[in-house]
Amino acid sequence: MTDMTHDRAVAPRRSAGEWLHSLLSMPAGAILLVFIVVQLACIIAGLLFPDDFRYLSSANMGIMMRSVPVLGCLALGAGVLMIAGEFDLSIGSVYTLTAIIMAMLVGAGVDAFLAAPVGLLVGAVIGLGNGFLTLRFHLPSFIVTLGGLLFWRGAVLLINGAVQVRFDPNPVFNALFSGTIFGINAAFIWFIALCLIFWALLHRHRLGNHIFATGGNRAAATAIGVNTGRIKMIAFAIAGFMAAFAGILATTRVGSVQPGQGAGLELQAIAACVIGGLSLRGGRGSILGVFLGVMLIFTITDVLLLMRAPGFYLDMFIATLIVAASIFNHGLDRRGAES
Amino acid sequence: MSLLELHNINKTFGPLKALTDLSFEVGHSEVVGLLGDNGAGKSTTVNMISGIHQPSSGYISVDGQRQTFANRRDSAEAGIETIYQNTALVDCLSISRNIFLGRELTDRFGFLDLKKMREIAMQVLESAVHISGIDSPDKLVGDLSGGQKQAVAIARAVFFKRRVLLLDEPTSALSVRETEALLNQVLKLKAEGVSSVLVTHNLYHAYQVCDRFVIMSHGTKVFDVAKADTTIEELTQHVVLT
Repeated sequence: MTDMTHDRAVAPRRSAGEWLHSLLSMPAGAILLVFIVVQLACIIAGLLFPDDFRYLSSANMGIMMRSVPVLGCLALGAGVLMIAGEFDLSIGSVYTLTAIIMAMLVGAGVDAFLAAPVGLLVGAVIGLGNGFLTLRFHLPSFIVTLGGLLFWRGAVLLINGAVQVRFDPNPVFNALFSGTIFGINAAFIWFIALCLIFWALLHRHRLGNHIFATGGNRAAATAIGVNTGRIKMIAFAIAGFMAAFAGILATTRVGSVQPGQGAGLELQAIAACVIGGLSLRGGRGSILGVFLGVMLIFTITDVLLLMRAPGFYLDMFIATLIVAASIFNHGLDRRGAES
Repeated sequence: MSLLELHNINKTFGPLKALTDLSFEVGHSEVVGLLGDNGAGKSTTVNMISGIHQPSSGYISVDGQRQTFANRRDSAEAGIETIYQNTALVDCLSISRNIFLGRELTDRFGFLDLKKMREIAMQVLESAVHISGIDSPDKLVGDLSGGQKQAVAIARAVFFKRRVLLLDEPTSALSVRETEALLNQVLKLKAEGVSSVLVTHNLYHAYQVCDRFVIMSHGTKVFDVAKADTTIEELTQHVVLT
């Protein structure tokens, strides 16, 4: 280690190999590298074949910016919870439920600026409920939230039936969540802003320190005086809240809610987190990783769509990505455990 | 007046009697060896002093003041730090974040003062606890060796000005050289006025640094002797035969 710093002092211009090594040892470094390579390849292909591969067209950019934020917000919430050492499989159902509640309230004449916070509150409360059941009865959160997935999916059909609900908020609300500012989609701006907020909370705030400690070594965190139960409850609440926020973004964009729209999203969110380098056992990961995980899923989706590949290629690509990322991260985990 | 005293402590877990009428004391600048075979009640005693378990009857006092430790934070506030065999450190966090875990330096909004935490961590690691191989407070604790981890835990205790260190089987996972460094550390801290309780069943390590020995068997104290008045053979006999 001292040798390395010495080398650096003598020769500040590091070789490409060293640069690559320091990038790969950074948290989320590998995924960043993959992301940059994929982006460069897409941009070059887009410049070389502007007619056949319309990656750089404004229409394509617009589609990307509109589709990323929903999964992105779900993944941010799921990611924080995963770092705290728990899962939430119910976020897809909660996302639909809170969107339906919000749309029904607006349909009944409630102002959207009042209905949306109600949706967010419901999401956070359901998250707290998951946390309570998990911690109070010492259950795996996987089981508790698998129950939540089915329960709230059923609840959507119970309160609404299998019909779609129109969402017609006031124009200000629409502009705020699905408008366009300087050519950039509002939902995408929300997503970027939330990424920055989550980054600050997780990597620069006391709460984040406690979340990492809780997921990384709960016994040690408890022994040192961190209230790990409370930290997990907060993380569950954040996951539920972000599911509801994703619901607001999706509903405002489409202008309606389909009762079946959330199915499978929870797994995609977890997939994005795993691709982004979060450990399934908690304590390891970064917000940059979650962001890149989401972006990579959508970039690959987009590329396959632009190349007019059939849909099943998409699933196969994502599957390969998840497993490859896990193998890589498992190697990192093991290296940490052995030394 | 003793720094830390246990008064007639009993502890039962349901029908199981873990500790019976246990009393002993730790003086200022004193290293006490708490010895005994497996199952003698050493760990229960440590957990009690650090606030994880509460006595069923009897009490603990610090500086003659009666204390009730409801949790580990209470004992820490009274100046007692416990360093466990699987030291209470989080592998996926850096050294400086571990040292300040639960007691982070923040602004009034709760955001971390990472720069200051780094500087202090580096300072503590360089001055108070000297264990080679730690060159940066940004290193992840998971990348450290067993001895280095305990050095970090001790650095934490030193920085927060603890007066009594409870070291629970500190040498069990250490190499010979690391053990030597750790025992020297205990002596150095003693010179600075920090008392230690060394919980171990390795009599040779205890004999090297302790001023007094408390031997436990079946949940109670069977022998309490100053180093000057005993030999390692006598200690061995009490541990083995009682």
